[in-house]
Amino acid sequence: MNVFALDFPPVSHLFVWPDFLFTDTPVALNKTGLIYVAAMVLTAGLFWAAGRRRALVPTGAQTVAEAGIDFVENSIIMQTIGPDGRRYLPFLTTLFFFVFFSNIFEVIPFIQFPANSRMAIPLALALVVWAIYHVVGIRAQGFYHYFKGALFPPGVPKLLYILVAPIELLQILLIRPLSLAIRLWANMVAGHLLLVTFAVLSAALWGTLYVPAVLPFAALILLTAFEIFVSALQAFIFTILTAVYIGGSLHPEH
Amino acid sequence: MSKRLWAAAAVVVAAVALSASAAGAVGETVGSCIFDELGEAQFEGIEGDGFTAVKELKTQYKAGDKHAKELKEDFEKDLEGCLEAPNPIIPEVTEIIWGGAAFVVLLALMKWKLFPVVKNLMEQRTQRIQDSLDDADRERAEAAEVRARYEAELADAKAEAARLVDEARDQAASVRADLQSRAEADIADMRERAAADVEASKRQAIADLQSEVSDIALGAAEAVLGRSLEDPEMQRQLVDDYIASVSAGQD
Repeated sequence: MNVFALDFPPVSHLFVWPDFLFTDTPVALNKTGLIYVAAMVLTAGLFWAAGRRRALVPTGAQTVAEAGIDFVENSIIMQTIGPDGRRYLPFLTTLFFFVFFSNIFEVIPFIQFPANSRMAIPLALALVVWAIYHVVGIRAQGFYHYFKGALFPPGVPKLLYILVAPIELLQILLIRPLSLAIRLWANMVAGHLLLVTFAVLSAALWGTLYVPAVLPFAALILLTAFEIFVSALQAFIFTILTAVYIGGSLHPEH
Repeated sequence: MSKRLWAAAAVVVAAVALSASAAGAVGETVGSCIFDELGEAQFEGIEGDGFTAVKELKTQYKAGDKHAKELKEDFEKDLEGCLEAPNPIIPEVTEIIWGGAAFVVLLALMKWKLFPVVKNLMEQRTQRIQDSLDDADRERAEAAEVRARYEAELADAKAEAARLVDEARDQAASVRADLQSRAEADIADMRERAAADVEASKRQAIADLQSEVSDIALGAAEAVLGRSLEDPEMQRQLVDDYIASVSAGQD
């Protein structure tokens, strides 16, 4: 009985999708690109519906949109930047919902693919964040003070600057954007692999031994719930780290 | 959530699902890669291309040609490349373009159109609730003020009432004392007068009795003696002495 000879697809087959529109052009569209468009449509639709109802006591889409704004404002901006960070509220709210919707397709039946398990948008968004926090820092403190504050943090013994300054430089120029991108990407890759593994295992066992299939299927259900949580958590982490970096550029003393 | 939003979400999800179902991942398979490599094979020093060139290379290799052996090893490496997955960390440009465009469009829509509407709505509500709370506070303060005023007035009224009662009580006490003293004076006066009247009546009665008794006694004496006492003054003296002796005898 060949129970464990599972037809597990090559890893690239789980993440690389063929183009189906505008093939062989620079704007070729595949499933990943389409999920990003869907994330845009869903976020815009949510806020459009929320703004249209104008009820005193919010329900439905209005509740979700308002709770999202409230969450980004009070749990992210006020905790990391402070009141003067409110001007970044539209950007951070957009970022949060866009990343969340891109992730949540991981558990939507028949799609089941997190767009952020491809490096494209995590990296692109991380670079946008990288540019924003540098521009904010230079505008708030001036070029010299911004880099001086970032490379030579106060309270460090002068001799240690030989060690600290290059590390800090590497951090603000390279490590921050890369860690931001890789954290989101790797979490989504791992989640997708977990779900595929348990789905394939359940399917294979169901075809041979029916009873043991219950265990991986139960795990699959639990992992699906867990991945919903991870989708929201990663959107939150991406947004709060962006806010932390912007806050650090605005207020060097923190 | 409104029905239209659900419908829009369902359309989006269906579009994504139908356009690229899970079974359609990656167009290139290992087999198709090997097939392409074989079809496009070209070798240095061997005429022709594709499967013909591969066949020719095989013939030369079997014949023990050293150059053909090197070419075969290189070609095998190329074929093994078909098994290698694309580097997952290298981003796909087309995905960056679509994802980036989606994000930029969304950000623009949110910043200038969608976000301000929802945020204004929230601020208006916050303002309305704040106004209601302020109104409630103000009304509560007014109510407290009215109550304090009312309580002060009540306390004043109570004090006034207590004062009036005390005053009335004092007045009543003084009137009573006055009436009592007047009554006592009247009583004393009446008692005095009554005593005087009694005394006067007593004296009158005694005097009357005396004269009556003397007259009776004289009459009796005259009847006994058969004569009248000539001197009235002497008569009276006699009678009085008699009466006094009778009184003394009685005592």
